[in-house]
Amino acid sequence: MLTIENLQVSVEGKPILKGLSLTVEAGRVHAIMGPNGSGKSTLAHVLAGREGYEVTGGNVRFGDEDLLALEPEERAHAGLFLAMQYPVEIPGVANMYFLRQAINAIRKARGQEEIPAAEFMRKVREQARLLGIGEELLKRDLNAGFSGGEKKRNEILQMALLEPRLCILDETDSGLDIDALRTVADGVNRLRSPERAFLVITHYQRLLDYIVPDVVHIMADGRIQRTGGPELARELEERGYEGLLGTKLAA
Amino acid sequence: MLAVKRTRRLDPDPAFTAAFRELAPRLPGSASEALARIREEGFARFLALGIPTQRDEAWKFTNVARIANRPMRPATATELPLDRVLPYLLGGPRARRLVFVDGRLQPQWSHTGGLPDGVIVESLARAAETRPLALAEALGELDDGRSFTALNTAFADGGAWIELPAGVALEAPLQLLFVTTGGEVPVMSHPRCVLRLGDGASLTLLETHVGLGEGAALTNAVLQLALRPGARLEHDRIQLPAAQSSLLAKIDGSLGAGSRYRQTTVVLGGALVRNEHELRIDGAGVECLLSGVAVPGTGEQSDTLVRIHHRASGSHSDQYFKHVVEDRGHAAFAGKIVVHPGAQKTNAYQKNDNLLLSDDGEVDTKPELQIYADDVKCSHGATCGELDAGVLFYLRSRGIAAEAARAILVHAFAAEVIGRLADPTARALAETRLVARLGGGLDGALVETVLGEAA
Repeated sequence: MLTIENLQVSVEGKPILKGLSLTVEAGRVHAIMGPNGSGKSTLAHVLAGREGYEVTGGNVRFGDEDLLALEPEERAHAGLFLAMQYPVEIPGVANMYFLRQAINAIRKARGQEEIPAAEFMRKVREQARLLGIGEELLKRDLNAGFSGGEKKRNEILQMALLEPRLCILDETDSGLDIDALRTVADGVNRLRSPERAFLVITHYQRLLDYIVPDVVHIMADGRIQRTGGPELARELEERGYEGLLGTKLAA
Repeated sequence: MLAVKRTRRLDPDPAFTAAFRELAPRLPGSASEALARIREEGFARFLALGIPTQRDEAWKFTNVARIANRPMRPATATELPLDRVLPYLLGGPRARRLVFVDGRLQPQWSHTGGLPDGVIVESLARAAETRPLALAEALGELDDGRSFTALNTAFADGGAWIELPAGVALEAPLQLLFVTTGGEVPVMSHPRCVLRLGDGASLTLLETHVGLGEGAALTNAVLQLALRPGARLEHDRIQLPAAQSSLLAKIDGSLGAGSRYRQTTVVLGGALVRNEHELRIDGAGVECLLSGVAVPGTGEQSDTLVRIHHRASGSHSDQYFKHVVEDRGHAAFAGKIVVHPGAQKTNAYQKNDNLLLSDDGEVDTKPELQIYADDVKCSHGATCGELDAGVLFYLRSRGIAAEAARAILVHAFAAEVIGRLADPTARALAETRLVARLGGGLDGALVETVLGEAA
C-alpha cells in the first residue's frame, strides 16, 4: 500500500531523513519507534504533505500514486490520514461543521453524493459515544479549549469518520493519561481491518501494549535501523535506545 | 495633484451649488421658512467647510474628493420590482419598516401601522410636514464641523423621524432600508434620521444600505441618536453598496444614565464606506458596545472612526472592529476614547483586529486614548496578521481544498462579529452575503450550521 524508497528530506538545509525505506502492507499495523530527533515526526509530516520540508531524494508510492506529487487534500482524498501530535485549535469553526465539511470533501473527491444529514448525525454520535466524546464537545469550536486528551480523541473521531486506507498516528500517546490512552487505543483497534494499514509513531512502548503492532521499526538518524516483530518493542523497553543502537545513534 | 495635497480643504464642485439652487424649492419642508433657512445655512456651511483632503487628520487615509467632489445628480423616482428588494426586507413578519429607493419613500413596501400610542415612526418628508419646527431644530442643533453633515442638512431627502415615549418597548424590530440604484452620473441621496428613545424605552433598529445595479451612487447619511436614561437600543447595520457606490454615514448620539447602546455593523462592498461615530456618555451605568466587520477587496475601502466621550463616571464602552483585507483592499480604523475630568470608574476598551490576505492590501489603524481622570480602566489594542499556515494545513489534511480552507478560516474570523447582530434575519443576510463573497465552494451548509446553532 505504501512504499517509501530511499527518502531524503531536509528542513532549512539540514538533512533530517537520510535515505529512509519502508513498506507498509494493507491490514498491518507498523510501529515506528525512535529517540527524539530521529526524524519520526518529519516522516509523518512529509507523508501528509506539510509545507516546510524539502524532499531532496527518493520517492513514495501510495497505491498507484506518486504521493509526493499530491496536494495535502489530494492525499486525504486518496485515503491517507494523519492523526497529529499537536492538533490545532480553530476558534470560529464548529467541530460538527468541520466534520461534515471534511466528510463531504472526501466523498465528493471520490465521486460520491454528500452524506445525508441524518446519516451524518447518526455516525458522528455513534463514534463519539464509543470514544467518550460528549455532545458538548461536538458543538464547541474545533479543538478550542479542548484538553490534550480531548484533542486526541477528536483526532480518532475524525479518523473513524473519514474512513482512510492508511492511518498515521504521530505520537498519539503523548500527553494522555492511562484511561484516555485505553480509549484512544480501543478506537484505533476498532478500525483495524484487512483493507486498512496503520503507521503508529511513538517514543514509548506503552502505546504498543494496547495497539499491538505486526511490525516494529526502530528509527534513528533519519533511517530505519532495525525491523522486527512486537518482541523488538519489548527488547527496546528493556535495553533502551542506547542499549539497542549504541550511543552514537541514540543521541 | 500637488496642490490637492497641500491644502486641507477643496472648494466643492460648482455642480453642488447648481443642484442646491435647483432642488431647494422641492426638498421636503421647503414650505417651512424655518426648514428652508436651516437648509440654506447648511449649504453655506458646506461651502465654507469645503471637501476635506488627506491633509485633514480625520481624512488622512482617505481620498474622499475623488468620490464626492464631482458632479452628481439628485435621484429621480425609480421603479423597482419587489423581488429585487425582497431579500433585504428584514426583521420577520411583524417588523415595521420604512423603505427608501434613491432617497424616496416607497409606501408600498413600508409598514408602520399598529404601533403603541405615542410612538412616532415617519419618513423625513412626512416629519417636515407634521413637525417642521422640531425638525428644523433637530437639523440645526448638529454642527460637528464636518462638511458632509452640513451637506446632508442642506439636501436631506430620505430618512426618518422616530420617537418612543418613556417606558415603551417595541418587540418587533424596526427596519430602515435604503436602496440605491445608481447611474452613469453618480446619484446622490442624503438620508437624515432622528431617533429619540424616552426613559426606559427599547428598540431594535435594523439599518440596511443596499446598492442594486451597476451604476454609481453616493449615500451621505446622518443619524442623530438620543437615549434617555435607561433606554435600550440594539442597532444592526448591514451595508452592501454596489461596487461603484459609496456610503458616508455619521452617527451622533448622546447616551443617558443607565442606557444601553449596542451596535453591530457589517460592511461588504462599496468603493468607499465610511462610518463615523461621535457618542457622548452623559450618565453613570451606560453600556456602549460597538462592533463591526468589513471585508474590503480591490477598489474598496472601509473606514471606521469612533469617538466616545465619557463625560460621566461609572460607565462602560467597548469597541471591537475587525477587517479582512483582500487583494488591493484598504481598511482604516481610528478610534478615540476621551475620558473627561471627573469621569472616574470608567471602563473603556478598544480592539482592532486585521486579517491581511494579500501583499497589496492596506490596513491603517490609529487608536487614541485621552484620559483626564485617574481612576479608570482603559485599554486599546490592534493586531494585523495573515492566515496561520498550520491551521490551513490541518484543514487540508482532512480533505478540504485549499480555497475552501481559506474561506472557512476567513469566515471564522468574521463570523464572531456577525454573531453579535441582534436580529436573526440580519445575521442570515450577513452570513449569506459573506459566504457568497468568500467563495471557495462553501455552500449554504455553513450558513445553515451557524444559524442552526444560533437558533
